[in-house]
Amino acid sequence: MSDETNGLVPQGSPEHYAIGISFGNSYSSIAHISGEGKVEVIANEEGDRQIPSILSYIEGEEFHGTQAKAQLVRNSKNTVAFFRDFIGKDYKSIDPTPCHGSAHPIEENGEICFAVRDTADSETENKVPVLEVAARHLRRLKNSASDFTGKTITSAVVAVPTDTNDEQKAALTKAAANIQVEILQFMPEPIAALLAYDSRSPDATADKNVLVVDFGGNRSDVAVVASRGGMYSILATAHDYELGGTQLDQVLVDHFAKEFDKKHKTDPRKNERSLAKLKLEAEAVKKALSQSNSATFSVESLADGVDFRSTVNRTRYEILALKTFGRFTRLVEEAIKKAGLDVLDIDEVIMSGGTSHTPKIAKNIEALFPESTQVLAPATTPTALNPSELSARGAALQASLIQEFEKEDIDQSTHEMVTVTPHLTAAIGYQVTGQPVDSFTLIIPPDTAVPARRTKVILGLEGDVLIRISEGEREITVTHREPQAKPETNGTKEDEDDDDEDEDEEDEAEEIREKVWRPKRPLAELIFRGLKKGSKVEVTANVDAELALSITARELGGKGGIRGEIKASETAQQNGSA
Amino acid sequence: GDSDVNPNFRTLGKISPPVMRKIEPFGAQFLAYARRKRHGRTFSEDQRI
Repeated sequence: MSDETNGLVPQGSPEHYAIGISFGNSYSSIAHISGEGKVEVIANEEGDRQIPSILSYIEGEEFHGTQAKAQLVRNSKNTVAFFRDFIGKDYKSIDPTPCHGSAHPIEENGEICFAVRDTADSETENKVPVLEVAARHLRRLKNSASDFTGKTITSAVVAVPTDTNDEQKAALTKAAANIQVEILQFMPEPIAALLAYDSRSPDATADKNVLVVDFGGNRSDVAVVASRGGMYSILATAHDYELGGTQLDQVLVDHFAKEFDKKHKTDPRKNERSLAKLKLEAEAVKKALSQSNSATFSVESLADGVDFRSTVNRTRYEILALKTFGRFTRLVEEAIKKAGLDVLDIDEVIMSGGTSHTPKIAKNIEALFPESTQVLAPATTPTALNPSELSARGAALQASLIQEFEKEDIDQSTHEMVTVTPHLTAAIGYQVTGQPVDSFTLIIPPDTAVPARRTKVILGLEGDVLIRISEGEREITVTHREPQAKPETNGTKEDEDDDDEDEDEEDEAEEIREKVWRPKRPLAELIFRGLKKGSKVEVTANVDAELALSITARELGGKGGIRGEIKASETAQQNGSA
Repeated sequence: GDSDVNPNFRTLGKISPPVMRKIEPFGAQFLAYARRKRHGRTFSEDQRI
């Protein structure tokens, strides 16, 4: 495997080749930047782009991915699955539930191990530490990427959940080092998904709030990200470690098991092997139902030697899974609430992870948001990227950006001295004479890291004009239309918060909620005199690293301009007029 | 009193105290930011190079 080239550099093989790896509990994927500069998710030898994170052993032969997954039925004890979240963890802190149908994690010398017969001598049971399992899995991914690209993979950016701690990262780094792969950076999965989309967007540097949902197999993670000038700050995250595709598979397992039980008077869930077959087929049926309106469930010799065949349509499945679908929606609401935001503050929703293929889940999430919010999932946006590929794509993009850098440079640039920085708490915007008193136009949105510079052009000015620069706040106004039982005051203004986001959405029809920006604290005033009709003024607000604000305004096509600077507060905390 | 120079500009207040947050160190824009910060350059200085 190691390239014995006797000091000769193989042709077309640069010294460093970095790929992106998405390493999940259920599936992993690998991606790189193709010769044409496009992100490409790599298929392994079996043609899979979503490669099950599973290893299985028969008489010393190692099976990986889909082949290993098939072994969950006949060879479950020698099959290792769902181990990612065990890496770098203490035995007592892990939840072994997902491993019930495969090799169980055990504790050995303070390490998490799996006891599997992985040698040719199929009698001996070896206790393989989870770190070694991870290394073997990563080696298979590395080899698949090497075979595909024809280059030796020396380094990688690995996408991981936002709550991955330093011990887990250190352990993963060690596992990768064991197979001669240097992990250049760990990348939070939501940031990878966001980068995957932004890399193909014409205005990637637009200011926007993005909600990234990652609905996986055994866990689901949601993050609210402030994207400002192409830089990302995570405002809040929410996790559910017992929610994912597995819970949806279970809905189908139960449905078909009951049907089988009715016909044949035996419950296939009570037999381990039957249950394993049920689970595999349920997942396949679920995937089929994301693509088409009905799917066939078919298992040979499901229980007591009886074959079983049945069909289910999407509507039926959606009714069966109604409660579970609701949990995904609630996780999204929880994350937005944690960020102190409202659904109206979210400009874009990126749906990532295999479970995001489910049309009904995407539709439910789309229904939470106003029409102006773009929900990027196959069911809601035809041009959406494949949710299963986003993490690997983002990681590959980052890998290509940094693969030429020295590791030391990367570490220095990603140090908290560089990354932890002041962010504006309030928006900066302007009002102009002649417009309604509390109208306010944003120049720099809140949660923007400094230094920051934004420019706006004010159109249609005439005569003497006063431009007031202020800090502003977002308000949610609630208007009740056609009140039914008890009449409500029209145009009531409320301060955000979600008293009206109950589970039942039926009676929300007559309520109109809108987001408005209001000036709160004046910062500066600028005066232009004698502007001609239809004049345009360009205003630039620049906040430097020390929080001094400078304003530049000039009439487009005119001469001269106005410039002023507001020094930062002397004290860190200032009891302003707000 | 930093606005006396220009009669058309009047200072009324200062920016509210910020919060410290982490910028995620990924993407081309971040790399540009890190380069500026490590070399102590401003936007316009960086653009000129």
